[in-house]
Amino acid sequence: MITLKTEFQKIKRRKIGLTMSVLISVQFAWFLWATKNPDEKELAQGWMNLLYTLPLLNVIMMPTFMSVLASRLSDLEHKGNTYKQLKTLRRPGILFDAKAICGLLFVAAISIGQMLFLLILGYCHHYTGNPDMHYYALSLILNFACCLALYLLQLDLSLLFFNQMIPLVIGLCGSLLGLILMYIKMYSFLPWGGFLSCTLVGMDWNIETRVVTLFYREHSIIEYCAMGMVFIWIIVFYTTGRIAFTRKEV
Amino acid sequence: MSTQNLVETHNLTKQYGKIRCVNSVNMQVTSGAIYGFLGPNGAGKSTTLKMILGLARPTDGNITLFGIPVNEKNRIKLLTQTGSLIESPSYYGHLSGEENLRIIQTLKGCSAKDIDEVLKIVRLDSARHKLVNHYSLGMKQRLGLAAALLGFPRLLILDEPTNGLDPAGIQEMRELIRSLPGAYGMTILVSSHLLSEIDQMADHVGIIRQGELVYQNTLASLHSHAKSQIALRVSHTAIAADLLREDGIDISLEEDYLLFPMIDDAYVANLCRRLIVQNISLYRVEKRETSLEDIFLSLTGKETSL
Repeated sequence: MITLKTEFQKIKRRKIGLTMSVLISVQFAWFLWATKNPDEKELAQGWMNLLYTLPLLNVIMMPTFMSVLASRLSDLEHKGNTYKQLKTLRRPGILFDAKAICGLLFVAAISIGQMLFLLILGYCHHYTGNPDMHYYALSLILNFACCLALYLLQLDLSLLFFNQMIPLVIGLCGSLLGLILMYIKMYSFLPWGGFLSCTLVGMDWNIETRVVTLFYREHSIIEYCAMGMVFIWIIVFYTTGRIAFTRKEV
Repeated sequence: MSTQNLVETHNLTKQYGKIRCVNSVNMQVTSGAIYGFLGPNGAGKSTTLKMILGLARPTDGNITLFGIPVNEKNRIKLLTQTGSLIESPSYYGHLSGEENLRIIQTLKGCSAKDIDEVLKIVRLDSARHKLVNHYSLGMKQRLGLAAALLGFPRLLILDEPTNGLDPAGIQEMRELIRSLPGAYGMTILVSSHLLSEIDQMADHVGIIRQGELVYQNTLASLHSHAKSQIALRVSHTAIAADLLREDGIDISLEEDYLLFPMIDDAYVANLCRRLIVQNISLYRVEKRETSLEDIFLSLTGKETSL
């Protein structure tokens, strides 16, 4: 807890919360634009539509957002050559854990903020009925897990490389890859495609009538495996990052 | 093992690939001493200090701190009694000096009052609220020393603490370091590639060359190696050498010169007369000093700075 406390002392004036708020605001602006002037059909499917759209936006945006978050938390250590001092005061594993938990709290705040925004948006639009809280809660957990996997990947890279351009470029490439994956399949075993695997809502688009029907998906076994892969990535990125950080000599 | 030694290394070795940076170093830092760790750039000083602090893993050998062999389990606990400043100071530029120290104080678990005290010691109390990015290099170095002093540890490990400082800053840092054992009972292990610096600061010295500790003793002992000799150049060196040997004088030959230890003026005058009587031309009679620098250079090679 003491080491975690110092993580928050370190990020004073770094405006990490503000940076993430700006990035998420872009996403929210997109949502507002995409859901403006809903017709009757859209009002009826509104709650499902929000859950369908969120992972699609996240798969494009979150790899970049998470690379920014991890980089902002890590580059202050590189710039100030601080690990040669910190590693004499705490075990490297504990320092890594503190950095991971600090980011995890930001990721949790982002995930909860996103979900709250969706609920507020839905109520403001007077979508038909009430949100299915079971799916919203599940979506929150899965969204959080996908963001966390990406954050841990980016944290590993940010701690490994002194030059933060490398992890940031990888984050941007992850966003592009997410965009490509979206057109291939609605599931992926890659960490950048986790949001697609965890999408709870499917879409049926009738090419003749051009009618869009949303529905809660029934996942196949392979889709469940892809969903589970997100949690495996969390373990893999956490473990490998911790080991690499511990072994790294200053 | 002596309990008098706060730091002991036994055959400490570090190898990167095929290059052995530190080779079987047996260092002993006595309690209360200012131990100057001297050597040319790239001799292995920083690597040795990093291994003592657990920042680099030894390839071989072991380290004892405060009489306790260091292992991964007790390393951090033992290091709570040490402060360190390795190469350049560690700092968060976007935070003030005080905020930087607050982080270290929180991690060290020492009293918050220590922050005020160490800021006074390094004379940064007036700049405590200034962002460290706006500090000069000397101020950053002093902040690094302040961080190392937090908790007033028993052992202070400083790696080239005067690097990058101007002459006034060097003098100030040197005086500060010299005052610490007396004022706070600290033992100091300080490295430098400058002999003059260690000469003015330390009372014990260890000299490292190409990863090997080639000398370790008190500075006074190193000084005692410094000696004066008389150098004599004559027309018939062999005859003059025989004459000196007959008088029981220990001589050595260096180029055209006969070298022998300092001797009283009366003997030198008499010797000159005897050489002239034997028709030996006297070209030079010189006094030669073997300085601390000469000893250091002979131990470390010629590539070092003085």
